[in-house]
Amino acid sequence: MADVLIILTMGLPWLGALAVWLTGDRRPHAQHRLAVGFALAAALAALLLLGSVSSTVELRIALGGAFGDFTFVPDGLGVFLTAVATVVGSLAVIFSVDYMHGEAQLGRYYALVLLFIGAMAGLALSGSLLLLFIFWEITALCSYALISFYNDDPKAVAGGIKALIITQIGGVGMLAGALVAYSYLGDYQISTLLSRYHELPSGVLAVLAFGFLAAAAAKSAQVPFHTWLPGAMEAPTPVSALIHAATMVNAGVYLLARFYPAFEGVSGWTTAVVVVGLVSALLAALMALCATDLKAALAYSTISQLGYMVYAVGVGAVFASQFHLLSHAVFKALLFLSAGAVIHAVGTRDMRQMGGLGRQMPFNRAVFITGALALAGLPLLNGFWSKELILEHGLHDGPVWAYAGMLVGAGLTALYTFRMVWLVFYGERRGSGHAHDAGPMMRVATGALAVGTLTTWLLVGAFGDLLEDSLPFHGLHVEPASALLEEIITAPATLVALGVVALGLLAWWFRDRLAWIGRAFPQVGQAAAADFGFNWLNRQIVHGTGQIAEALRTTQTGYLNWNVLGIVAGFVVVLGILALG
Amino acid sequence: MNAMTMIALAVMGLVGAGLYGLLITRNLIKVVIALQILVKGALLALVAAGQASEQVNLGQSLAVTVIVADTIVAVVGLGLAVQAKRLLGTLDVKALSNLRG
Repeated sequence: MADVLIILTMGLPWLGALAVWLTGDRRPHAQHRLAVGFALAAALAALLLLGSVSSTVELRIALGGAFGDFTFVPDGLGVFLTAVATVVGSLAVIFSVDYMHGEAQLGRYYALVLLFIGAMAGLALSGSLLLLFIFWEITALCSYALISFYNDDPKAVAGGIKALIITQIGGVGMLAGALVAYSYLGDYQISTLLSRYHELPSGVLAVLAFGFLAAAAAKSAQVPFHTWLPGAMEAPTPVSALIHAATMVNAGVYLLARFYPAFEGVSGWTTAVVVVGLVSALLAALMALCATDLKAALAYSTISQLGYMVYAVGVGAVFASQFHLLSHAVFKALLFLSAGAVIHAVGTRDMRQMGGLGRQMPFNRAVFITGALALAGLPLLNGFWSKELILEHGLHDGPVWAYAGMLVGAGLTALYTFRMVWLVFYGERRGSGHAHDAGPMMRVATGALAVGTLTTWLLVGAFGDLLEDSLPFHGLHVEPASALLEEIITAPATLVALGVVALGLLAWWFRDRLAWIGRAFPQVGQAAAADFGFNWLNRQIVHGTGQIAEALRTTQTGYLNWNVLGIVAGFVVVLGILALG
Repeated sequence: MNAMTMIALAVMGLVGAGLYGLLITRNLIKVVIALQILVKGALLALVAAGQASEQVNLGQSLAVTVIVADTIVAVVGLGLAVQAKRLLGTLDVKALSNLRG
C-alpha cells in the first residue's frame, strides 16, 4: 500500500507536468485544469501516505553496482515534508490560475512547478544518499528555471543563474559527503550512515558533517550563502511562495534534522549550526527592516525564520525545528500569496508606492494580517507555538548568548512585520490607479492557508507521535499535546519572548520618537540596505574567477601539436608517479 | 624473448609512432593516419591484456568496440579534411585554430 502511495505522490505531479506540456499553450483552460487536478491528486496521495508512516524501506529499486539500491522510506520526517510540499504546492497551483491568467507559455510554467512538486516529494522520501542528491539537484534546477521564467528580463535571468550557482556549491558538498560515506561504509543508505557513523574516522565524519552543513546553508539561504534568495524574487509570486518560502528552502533544515544523530557528536558542529542560525536570523531581520521591495522583505524574513529552524537543530530541538517548519511553510506561503495578490493588483513590488490598500482589498488585508501576526509570533496562531517551543529549548539546552540573540531577532521580526503591514495596507495611497481585490481562485488558496495558520498548531500532538514512532535513530521524546501546549504557555521564556515582541510592536508605534536611533547609527541602516556587503563579496568572487579564466586563456593555443604535447607530457608524469610508487 | 614482451614492444612502437606523428605533422590527412597507428597500438594492448588476465572475451569485445569508434573517427576526420581543403584551401591544422583562447 505504502509503495503505491509513494509512487503516486511522486509520479502524479510528473505525469501532470507531461500532460500540461503536451496539452500545448493554445488551450490555457485545459492547462489550468490539468495542473490543478494533478496537484490536488498528489496532495491527496501524500495525505493518505500520512496513514502508513513507517521507518522501513517500502519501495526498493535495485540498480546494483556502484549506484546501490534506490530506496524510499516513508518515515515521519519525510512524509511530513512531502505533505507540506504537495498541499502547499496544490494551493500555489490553484492560486496560479488567477495569477498567471493570460500569461504566455503556461505549459512551461506548470510543467516546471509540477516537476518541482514531484522532485520535492522524492527528496523527502528518499532513503539513499545518492538518490537524495539527485532529487536535490532536480529541485535546484526547477528553482533556477522558474526564477528565470520571464526569460526576457535580464534581472530574472541573473537571479536564476545566481541561485543555481550558489545552490550548486552546496550540492557539490553533499555529493562529496555521499561518496565519502559510500567509500567507508560501502552503502548509500541513510539508515546505514545513521546506524554505523561511529565506524568512520572522526576526521572523515567531521568533513561529512561540515559538508552537509554547507549544503544545507546554501539550500536554506543561510549566511553567507543567503544572497541568492532576494534575487530569486524575480520569479512569479506563486513560485516564490512554493519554492522559496514553503518547500525547497526547507530542504536544508530537513537535511540537518535528518542527519542530526550522526553529526551531533562532531566537535564544534552544533556550535557552528547555532551560529549560522543566529547570524542568519539577526542579519536577515535587519535587512528585512530596510527593504523597500515587498517580496524582498518577505524573502529576508524567510531567511530569518529559517535561521530559527537551523538554530533549533543546533540546540538539539529537532522536533521544534520541524514544527516551526510546518508553521512557517503555512504562514509564509500565505504571506507570499497574498502579497502576490497585492502585486497583481497594483503592478509594482515597491512598498513605497503602495499604502492604504486595505480599503480596496479587505479580504486580502485580512488574510495577510493573519499571516503577519503568525510571523510576528502573536498568541494562538501557529507561529507563536512553534517559535516559543524553539526559544524554550534554546534557553534550556543552548548557550545563553545565542538565546539572547534569538530574542532580539523575535523583537525585530515583530517590528519589520508591522512596518510591512502598515506600508502596504494602511496610511495614504502613494501610488496611482485602482487596485482590485484578489480573484476567486486566489481567495480559495489564501483562505485555505489562513485557516491553516489559525489551526495547524492543533496538530502538534499527532505530529510529535508521528516523528517519535518512525525515527529510530533520533530518540525523540515528544510530550503529549496538552502537556506541550501547557508548558509553552506557562514557561517564563514565553513571557519574555512575548514581552520582546510587544517591544517590537511599540517600537513601530513610536517610530517617530525613536527615529533618533536610526540617525545615531546611520552605518547600520546603510550596511543593512547594502546586504552587509555579501553581494559585494559575491561580485568580487565572480570577478576573480573571471580574471583567472582570462589568464588561463593563453594555455588554449588551438594548435593540435601543442595539445598532443600536453597529452604526452601528462602521460609521462603519470608514468613517473607510477614508477616512483 | 617471449610473446608478451614482443607484444609490449609492438604496442610501445605503434603508440610511440602515432604520438610522434601527431606531434610533428600539420597535415590533416597525416594526422588521421597517425591517429590510426596510435589506436592500432591501443587495440593490440587491449587484446593482449585480455589474454594476460585470462579474460579473452572481455579484451576482444572491447577491441571490437574500439574498432567501430576508430572507424568513425577516421571517417569524420577525413570528411573534415575534405571540407577544410574546400573552405580554407589548405590542409594545415594551424588554419583550423579557431578555438584559440
